[in-house]
Amino acid sequence: MTRGNPGTRLDLEWISKVRVNTQAVLKRAQQIQGQKILKKQWQAAWLLKAVTCIDLTTLAGDDTPSNVHRLCLKAIQPIRYDLLRKMDMHNKGVSTAAVCVYPSRVADAVKSLKAANSSLPVASVATGFPAGQTPLETRLREVRMAVADGATEIDIVINRTLALTGQWEAMYDEIRQFREACGDAHMKTILAIGELGTFTNVYKASMVAMMAGSDFIKTSTGKEAINATYPVAIVMVRAIRNYFLCSGHKVGFKPAGGIRTAQEALVWLTLIKEELGNDWLCPHLFRLGASSLLADIERQIYHHVTGQYPAYHELPMA
Amino acid sequence: MAGSATKTVHDIFQSMEYGPAATSSTATAQAWLDHHSRSLGLFIDGKFVRPADRQTRSLADSKGGNVCSTVCAVEDDVSQCASSAVNGYKAWSGMTCYNRAKVLLRLVSILGQHSKCFAELCDLCQASCSPSTLVRLLQYYSSWAQLRDTLITNWTPLGVVAVVVSDDCSLYSLMLKVLPALAMGNSVIIVPGRTTAPPALLLAQLFTSAGLAAGALNVLTGSDMLLGAKVAQNQSISYVTYSGNKQDGVMLCKATAGMGVPISISPCIGATCPFIIFESADLDSAVDGVIETAFKKKKEVHWVLCVQESVLDSVVSRLRLRMAGVKCVGLHSDADRAQVDMDIQEAQQQGATLIQSCAAPSSGALYPPTVLCGAAPSSPFVVSPSPGPLLPLMTFRSNTEAVALGNHSPHGLAASIWTEDLTLALETAKSLSVGSVWVNSHSVSDPCLPASGHKDSGSCTDGGQEGLYQFLRPSCSSSPPLPRSSPVSLDYTKFGTAASPAIIPDDSDASSAPKSYLQFVGGKACKSESGCSVAVQPPGGGSVLAYCPDGGRKDVRNAVEAAIKVQPGWMKKSPSARAQSLYSLAKGLEAKRRDIAVSINIQTGLSMDEAEKEVDLSFARLSDWAAYCDKVQGGTLPIPQSGSALSFPEALGVVGIVLPEKNPILSMVTLLGAAIATGNAVIMVPSQKYPLPALAFIQVSVKTFNVLRSKLGCQYLQYTCTSPLKTLHLFCQKNEEDKDGGRDWTQSHPSLLEEMWRNAVQWKSVWIPTA
Repeated sequence: MTRGNPGTRLDLEWISKVRVNTQAVLKRAQQIQGQKILKKQWQAAWLLKAVTCIDLTTLAGDDTPSNVHRLCLKAIQPIRYDLLRKMDMHNKGVSTAAVCVYPSRVADAVKSLKAANSSLPVASVATGFPAGQTPLETRLREVRMAVADGATEIDIVINRTLALTGQWEAMYDEIRQFREACGDAHMKTILAIGELGTFTNVYKASMVAMMAGSDFIKTSTGKEAINATYPVAIVMVRAIRNYFLCSGHKVGFKPAGGIRTAQEALVWLTLIKEELGNDWLCPHLFRLGASSLLADIERQIYHHVTGQYPAYHELPMA
Repeated sequence: MAGSATKTVHDIFQSMEYGPAATSSTATAQAWLDHHSRSLGLFIDGKFVRPADRQTRSLADSKGGNVCSTVCAVEDDVSQCASSAVNGYKAWSGMTCYNRAKVLLRLVSILGQHSKCFAELCDLCQASCSPSTLVRLLQYYSSWAQLRDTLITNWTPLGVVAVVVSDDCSLYSLMLKVLPALAMGNSVIIVPGRTTAPPALLLAQLFTSAGLAAGALNVLTGSDMLLGAKVAQNQSISYVTYSGNKQDGVMLCKATAGMGVPISISPCIGATCPFIIFESADLDSAVDGVIETAFKKKKEVHWVLCVQESVLDSVVSRLRLRMAGVKCVGLHSDADRAQVDMDIQEAQQQGATLIQSCAAPSSGALYPPTVLCGAAPSSPFVVSPSPGPLLPLMTFRSNTEAVALGNHSPHGLAASIWTEDLTLALETAKSLSVGSVWVNSHSVSDPCLPASGHKDSGSCTDGGQEGLYQFLRPSCSSSPPLPRSSPVSLDYTKFGTAASPAIIPDDSDASSAPKSYLQFVGGKACKSESGCSVAVQPPGGGSVLAYCPDGGRKDVRNAVEAAIKVQPGWMKKSPSARAQSLYSLAKGLEAKRRDIAVSINIQTGLSMDEAEKEVDLSFARLSDWAAYCDKVQGGTLPIPQSGSALSFPEALGVVGIVLPEKNPILSMVTLLGAAIATGNAVIMVPSQKYPLPALAFIQVSVKTFNVLRSKLGCQYLQYTCTSPLKTLHLFCQKNEEDKDGGRDWTQSHPSLLEEMWRNAVQWKSVWIPTA
């Protein structure tokens, strides 16, 4: 994967002009959620698209090589082969976009994928995930070590203290340093929107993260009280659109945390299609951070193919 | 690619297109229509009536399939319907408020049972109105029905009200008239348009099963506006109100002129409305708003996008990106398509650039949404809006220019303004002369928002408590305000052009020479432009009491110009400053008490005692109005969504008052006081017979009004009343009525004064949604 966004200089005037009308955003979110539901092969195709955009994730204290191994193999074959075959999608390279683990598990994931002859990228969260409250030095080292272990995508968390106190320059500099530490790896910047207070702050943080060279901006760690919501996503994708209009660079978007049902996945795709257009509907520019979502999507696909809903045990677990 | 059925999962996976629109079933509505053999009758006296030998009118759905046919009512049906409505009124108005409210609420639950049938029928007839908005209307007005006697004391219903709408009027606008009329205890005759006829008939039927008295709601279908006029002509109709496009409204007004029935119109269809985006706006949300509202197939209003120059590029680039995915919109006919092509060509010739989601197909009924950048107020497609999904985009430099652009239109229905700056939002909302202002939002309608279309966009207030008064009259006023009559044939172009006879008295005794009075225009006393004067004679004739200038067309023009100049300043004065002005006027009147009493005495032949009594009453009345000045207020409204809704009473602007002959001084201060207390500028035309007291009065120094002694002035106003193109008619019609009606000017019941000030203001609602 080639590097997408080189970043720009920090334009504080741009940041200061940001205005977001909360109620208009909420209304737009409702309107998108109220759009007509996709049926039949449209639903199946969109759900498969969602699968190819998933960063299949496990971020738990009890992760060990064995459950990371299971996760990697599920990521390679996310939907039962016979189901894909019925839709003539078995040879179209349907796999999740990446697997996402803690830095200490990167080596395990790389090993499992290599053993399975898969080139699926391994993403690692870093920089003191999820709170980001560790010294800059250790955060930078964490990034370098994850990259050294073979992670090709790094999900960094921003320093909320800087964002909340309006120290955008300091935040820009930090992200710049993370960017350098990432080297050739893709950098996804987690804004932890649940802790930013206002939509205006979310917009500003998004802009700063993109100016500093993020390839993706990501809603949340999944560990805050409020995670990926549609209104906040609208604010972030509008920032992406604005950045594209001003710099010509396309930055990706990754909602994460609390996305569990196939229905939600369809709304997310609709939101991206409506706000950013079809260009963004691919794993290069859109990711869904999720762990249990895949199971529900596979169930819906099973229903599309067979006309019946399966019991959970009929589909392979992750 | 072939039909959608052949699209494979992989095709869609690649293209990521939406599926085909689900075709909604209409089986329930079809079953109802079939039950009526697809030809709906009239709804009279609580049941369907199908008189034989009537012409019918058929209605087709969007694909051209037959929906049903409706009957074209004739005179017999109208009179049968009217007498049923009179009986319906007796039964309905005799019920208690609680029972009326209960009927409206019962309809909510009945509508719940039949919501599918209702929604499908609306869909079929393309009269979209969701059951939930109708439920909101019903719930809102049922509570007004319940509280009428508690909160609106001393007012009674009018009687039989005719609600007439044009073919393109929405069911919502129709019900926004019908429900308040019913809630206040009137009986209603609906004359629906083509698309609203079947849903209106269904609702009438459901209403009857909800327990509405037979005859309280009747539906007469016809083929055009003339049926509305026929209904209005019936002697038992007390009030006619209209909603729809302006042409049909004008036609109805002209057809009913001289019938002696009050009529008000709300031309809610086809107005041009500004959509103003300031540099301080959330541009992304504003652009979303534009795309959501500007390119509908069924255009109720024509939007004009006004963007501050400093953010033009940002708005245009966002529009380009967002419009890329917007689908083509269906046009109504081939003629529309030809018109759209012509408009686009003309626009391009004038240098407009287009933003389109895709290139327009060379022919056919689909057209891509199009923004025409580089429009100006003089562009042809701005002056006469195109039928297609075209949106003109203009730029403005400053906040004041935005208001100037928005106001420079014959319409005054609504405006949408986008800014995050609260001060700017409120200032702009106050300065725009429109009935509804939507801040950071658009097209929000709720029955609790009172709005009067300004200028060409209406002559009455709909919605809110204020909208109820068009269906009520003060209990103490003598019913009907206008005597019923038949229109006489009149040549409107020649009307009022005859010269007045010159009377020169034979005796030329210098000591008893009649006094000459002057007109009072723009703060100065002046002669009439015509150079003629009219002799004023005492009762019985003979001698000449005085000469008054004979105002002509030019005097009227001068007076109007003077009034227009001072009115904004007068309106902006603080209410307490207006009150002080009125108090000092009352004082001035008191100082001239004797002079004025004498002029009443010699003019009308009233005894000195009675004349003095009238003068005393007059300054009491002026003091009433002075006190009213700072008590008249709007408020915040309880709208279901979250945010702040405000209502403001605003001056009408320049008001023409033709004074009645009875109680020349008292009637004048009553009307004048109402008008200027609420911030209007006034052009008064004193009574033809007894002008002297009024002319004596103006020698008390007053700056804000203009008096003309003019026969022509009076006729001029009369003529304008036949057409809603002029907006003065509400108040001046009122005075026309008073002239012949038996109003007792000495009565000072609070509801009479309230009625007068309600007639002297128009309402604006401002909606500021918040999270």
